Amino acid sequence: MKRTPLPLAQDISGKTYWRSLSELAGSPDFVDALGREFPPAAFEPPEGVGRRTFLSLMGASLALGGLVGCRRPVEQILPYSRAPEEVIPGQPLFFATALPMMGTAFGVLVESHEGRPTKIEGNPKHPESLGATTLYTQAAVLDLYDPDRSKSPREGAAAKSWDDAAAFLRAEGDKLRGRSGKGLTILTEAHRSPTLAARLADLRKTLPEARIVRYEPFSRDAAREGARLAFGKPLETTLDLTKARVIVALDADLFGTDGSPIKQARAFAAGRAVDKDPKAMNRLYAVESTFTITGAAADHRLRIQSRKIPAFAFALATELGKRGVALDADLLKTLEGKSGGLDAKATRHVAAIAADLAANRGLGALVVGRSLPKEVHAVAHLINLALDNTGRAVRLVAPFDESREGPEALVELAGAIERNEVETLIVLGGNPAFDAPADARFADALAKVPVSVHVSTHVDETSERSRWHLNRAHPLESWSDVRAEDGTASIAQPLIAPLFGGRTDAEIIELLLGGSRTAYDLVRATWLNAEGAKRTEQDLRRALHDGLFAGSQLADEQVTATTQAAVDALRAFAPAAAEGLEVTFRPDMHAWDGRFANNGWLQELPHPMTKLTWGSGANLSPSTAARLGLKDGDIVTLSGAGASVRIPVVVAPGQADDSVALGVGQGRRAELRVGRGVGVDTTPLRKSDAFELAVGFSLEKTGAVAELARTQEHFVMEGRPLAREGTLAELEKDPAFAQKQVHVPPLLSLFKEPNRRQGHAWGMSIDLNACIGCNACVIACQAENNIPVVGIEGVRETREMHWLRVDRYFQGTDPNEPESIQQPLPCQHCENAPCEQVCPVAATAHSPEGLNDMAYNRCVGTKYCANNCPYKVRRFNFFEYGQPDSESRKMQFNPNVTVRSRGVMEKCTFCVQRINSAKIEAKKEGREHVKDGEVVTACQGACPTQAIAFGDLNDQTSQVSVTSASPRGYRMLDEINTKPRVTYLAKIRNKNPELADA
Amino acid sequence: MSATAPLQVDPPRLSDRAALLDEAPLVQGKDDFRSLTDKISGIVLTKPPSGWLILFCLAISLLLVLGGSLVHLVGKGIGIWGLNTTVNWAWDITGFVFWVGIGHAGTLISAILFLFRQKWRTSINRAAEAMTIFAVACAAIYPVAHLGRIWFAHWLFPIPNQMSIWPNFKSPLLWDVFAVSTYATVSALFWFVGLIPDLATIRDRATSRTKQIVFGILCLGWRGSHRHWLHYERAYLIFAGLSTPLVLSVHTIVSFDFAVSIVPGWHTTIFPPYFVAGAIFSGFAMVVTLMVFARKAFGLEGLITTRHLENMNKVIVATGTMVGYAYAMELFIAWYSGNGYERFAFANRILGPYSWAYWTMVSCNVIFPQLFWFKKVRTSIPAMFVISILVNIGMWFERFVIIVTSLHRDFLPSSWTYFRPSIWDMSTFFGSFGLFFTLFLLFVRYLPMVALSEVKAITAAADPHGSHSNDEAHHAA
Repeated sequence: MKRTPLPLAQDISGKTYWRSLSELAGSPDFVDALGREFPPAAFEPPEGVGRRTFLSLMGASLALGGLVGCRRPVEQILPYSRAPEEVIPGQPLFFATALPMMGTAFGVLVESHEGRPTKIEGNPKHPESLGATTLYTQAAVLDLYDPDRSKSPREGAAAKSWDDAAAFLRAEGDKLRGRSGKGLTILTEAHRSPTLAARLADLRKTLPEARIVRYEPFSRDAAREGARLAFGKPLETTLDLTKARVIVALDADLFGTDGSPIKQARAFAAGRAVDKDPKAMNRLYAVESTFTITGAAADHRLRIQSRKIPAFAFALATELGKRGVALDADLLKTLEGKSGGLDAKATRHVAAIAADLAANRGLGALVVGRSLPKEVHAVAHLINLALDNTGRAVRLVAPFDESREGPEALVELAGAIERNEVETLIVLGGNPAFDAPADARFADALAKVPVSVHVSTHVDETSERSRWHLNRAHPLESWSDVRAEDGTASIAQPLIAPLFGGRTDAEIIELLLGGSRTAYDLVRATWLNAEGAKRTEQDLRRALHDGLFAGSQLADEQVTATTQAAVDALRAFAPAAAEGLEVTFRPDMHAWDGRFANNGWLQELPHPMTKLTWGSGANLSPSTAARLGLKDGDIVTLSGAGASVRIPVVVAPGQADDSVALGVGQGRRAELRVGRGVGVDTTPLRKSDAFELAVGFSLEKTGAVAELARTQEHFVMEGRPLAREGTLAELEKDPAFAQKQVHVPPLLSLFKEPNRRQGHAWGMSIDLNACIGCNACVIACQAENNIPVVGIEGVRETREMHWLRVDRYFQGTDPNEPESIQQPLPCQHCENAPCEQVCPVAATAHSPEGLNDMAYNRCVGTKYCANNCPYKVRRFNFFEYGQPDSESRKMQFNPNVTVRSRGVMEKCTFCVQRINSAKIEAKKEGREHVKDGEVVTACQGACPTQAIAFGDLNDQTSQVSVTSASPRGYRMLDEINTKPRVTYLAKIRNKNPELADA
Repeated sequence: MSATAPLQVDPPRLSDRAALLDEAPLVQGKDDFRSLTDKISGIVLTKPPSGWLILFCLAISLLLVLGGSLVHLVGKGIGIWGLNTTVNWAWDITGFVFWVGIGHAGTLISAILFLFRQKWRTSINRAAEAMTIFAVACAAIYPVAHLGRIWFAHWLFPIPNQMSIWPNFKSPLLWDVFAVSTYATVSALFWFVGLIPDLATIRDRATSRTKQIVFGILCLGWRGSHRHWLHYERAYLIFAGLSTPLVLSVHTIVSFDFAVSIVPGWHTTIFPPYFVAGAIFSGFAMVVTLMVFARKAFGLEGLITTRHLENMNKVIVATGTMVGYAYAMELFIAWYSGNGYERFAFANRILGPYSWAYWTMVSCNVIFPQLFWFKKVRTSIPAMFVISILVNIGMWFERFVIIVTSLHRDFLPSSWTYFRPSIWDMSTFFGSFGLFFTLFLLFVRYLPMVALSEVKAITAAADPHGSHSNDEAHHAA
């Protein structure tokens, strides 16, 4: 194999770095390579590389340590805290970049080992990340190494080179220029990239007849359109819940799927720091049809069908009007007529919530879910304005793009294709053939387009029906930029040269327009020249280093109510019919809209509420299931709107009666080794006029039964004091109520216990009051610690390997109306560890610093330790799970964590590799002790609400010492004398006395 | 015939008592020394009955199932079993405790009954001891096979190594290693020492050169001299003395695997005596099952009489009642302790998803053996055959109930699971019967299955004073 060194341009610092002797000497091969953007080897999938070659490649990259390795991106990228010239083998570097998702962007720091990105952390400076991550940002690194990613452009089924593809695009561009772009349609995702927007603006200039369409299967169109009704212009809503005492979420999954989950969860948790000031605790009402983590975190949750939530919102407005909130009389009159049909319980909630909101003027936030109609958003906008919440907790900013991005766009496009108005269709990302509304029949329409191009990381359902497939670069391997919801701009810098030679959307438009600039040039052009303010090279470097352009967030838009438009729209508003079952469509937790379907980590990540992995189902309330004679796992035919799917029933406590929650994104049909055929494709049921909520559905039992793969089957705590919680009133009466829930007898030990009060004593505290059960910690742990996935069979046999799991218990007497509590459970690192005493070969033993260590290569696998672990946190390699399924997957492994072999027990180590690297740093600086905050465990780092604190318990001033000393603190199963090093802080609910018995 | 002098024991004559109690003689039939020798060594030296070959083929087939299962196990990993992260032991350790328990009857018969001068033991002790050794061999499969990394099984032994790493002496599993390996060694030696005079008999009567050489080596040059007998008697007594505490200690230590842990349902102080009683219970049941067959197959009804079987059934009913008491006491203590986890563990056993296993255990171990209070039942061959098999099923379930029902629902409900065995769990367990029967069939074919020299001592012919009456053999039962 001929290997050519990558050309490296002049470094910003002015130094010239050479990668090899041939580069230095200017060998012909090297000069030849300079002309090409990527060296030939860069296109070779690691797949095709044999083990020996791979090892020699990796060996060579290690040997060339100072030169980072063969996959350094072509252009300069800047490390977050250290310059690239400091690259030392074994020392990770962190680069700031941003990942777009959920209609916003998450600023991240990517850990890179010798040029391989291995782990994603949140960027503390970024307003959407605040140092934490969502589960999807954590999992993105695995997607980068997905062996199923397409390796080259394709025309039909034939693989083509990028030279061919570029020639094709240029020729196509020339043709289109001849007719000023007539017949060209560009379909983009709801992207937020200024560079791509600039390219598309150029395209509009050059090809004025071209049509540009935005589409997102889970768009935030309704919120923007609601603002258009309420204020006369489409606006983006961005929440600052730190300013809210009363938060009302109407079908809004604030901490899960509704956008900006980290920011919102952090602010929510900050308002619940009861140890500081119990009086300042906020109160969250969740009004929702399916049990979300937001509902689980709420102080009061109203279980109600989604189709009734508009009436609920209108009733709330009416009630607020009665309480003297300045809402337009016309509006109130219109709303009053449309707020019927609520049951007594809902009405009580309306009254209580209205009173609470009215009493907390300017300190409230009425948040309407992405999926609710624009009219409801408009009412909420008006309520928030009338309550002075707008501009405080509820901020309104200019949208990135004013065009619609909902299902109508695709229906129109499909119509245009049918009318032969589209000759060239370029689909930039997305997978509309899979996730388009069923009535658009987009997959059929796509096949009729004479020239169709799909830019995608995978040969997916859309690529299969397009003439050309162009392989797209993953966000971690390409230059791009993105604006977050509040306008904060970041440059996305590549961590690695494209593994499979993909390119970015902006580059493809550039090629179409006849240009040849690379993504790097395009991004630089955007930020150096455009956007009004002239920036210097220095500004750019600063932005790359920080991961964002400081001060780039948007200012609040000043709004005045355009009530008449809202009233007109509301008069015309017809709520969804009450007949039949309602069906709500939500992004599947595992696959999102399908884009993560091939991600094993996400597929195996238990759903926070149903604990379902590897699949999807139709969530039904226990009473609806009982009424229809259905049991958990029964496969039913769900039909309505002229279509039907066969799907297993998931009996989900907390689901509204006669309401079915469906995930969209599973049941992929493309060639995906992980995701193909997992779960059920529900897109045939999703029509453009009922894209989020459909009614009139019915269920029919087929008699077949599916074995659902759950990680937790028993949801009742059996009266055991495990995850403890109380109300604010209980806390105020007795702050240490949680400790008194169990009698801990005087505890003795059979063995002489070592002195734990010297040196470090590592410990952790987990605040159940802050934990929202979002699962980010679980997947962060998986990424950090090379934890394998075991597949659907493995989960069915209860052999999942997660070192950290989140236990979820339901409470309450009515299975339909449970309260839920989430409890993250890592190894408790018991000082008196039951596992250690029983291991016959002493493979698990205590470190002097109080860690319960596992010596993998001493373990013979008796599994006695796991039997004797009361917390059941030990995980056994029943098979050779650690073996990656592909060469590329190996590149994700954290080199500082052993990959475990079959027959070996493993479990949470408190991220001992991070502790040791902090200790080494401290030692190098001549310190005896690691300072507080220098060790951040993977779970702690990922936690959006900072529920997890970790550090030295012997240091009285450390954060973990302070939190562990909270009166809410308790140690789980302390009474059996395990002496756990993890302290849980009891959950507190701020109950509204008016709803005490509701 | 120099090798068959009677034992030098002279217990008090209790013929009057025997007559009074109307006890059956220990050995029936008209066998004198010579015919006894003919009969026992004939089994070894002549062609076996055709039934033996059929049974042997069946046993070998089962053994191959075991071998195949173990090969697959080592090749793929213990994930082929139905274990999961909550129930990490199931059929494997159940099988281990089951087989170790079976072994106990042999040691009890050969050692404790010997020390207590229970002469009736002589007809069955050889076979029972053999059963012990084979059962321990079967048991030894599981602690090794259940390891995730079988190839490092030797790390369980305190072998000096370059890393200076010793096993963890706090771990009951390590105690197990010592207990079981000691037990296996002592039992094997005890058995072999007892075989020496009989092996010499076989050597003397062997017609083929090979047999003469093989048995000649095995009998260690036994000549039947007075000095030989003296040493032999002493060695036998010492081994009996050594084995006696093992009967109690081995299963006590096996029970520590559970009792020392903190799992509710395992962490109970009653386990050591309860396990020992259970072990003897199951062991005697196994001896009865085997003897009922063997005496019929080889025409040894005269040596292994109904009286022997009845005595064993008495032991079964006694130990079965003890086990029943233990079950009841466990429940009482669980309730009386006031410990919620403990209470739950036992309520879950009785009423939980594995209640079917619990009630199988109770009916097989406590209820059916009570039928042995009736003399008619305990002397009826079909009845005792059925009950002894039921007891063995029940005792397997006892271990299964203890291990699996305690594990599957312990402290955190979030981790509760239900264990389902895979086909490989079953093949590994049932295959172990292949090993057991293969060894046992080889034993009855190639070694004297009745302790010839001992039995002769209790025949009528050996009692110079008892020739006037058939009923006046020695006995002290």
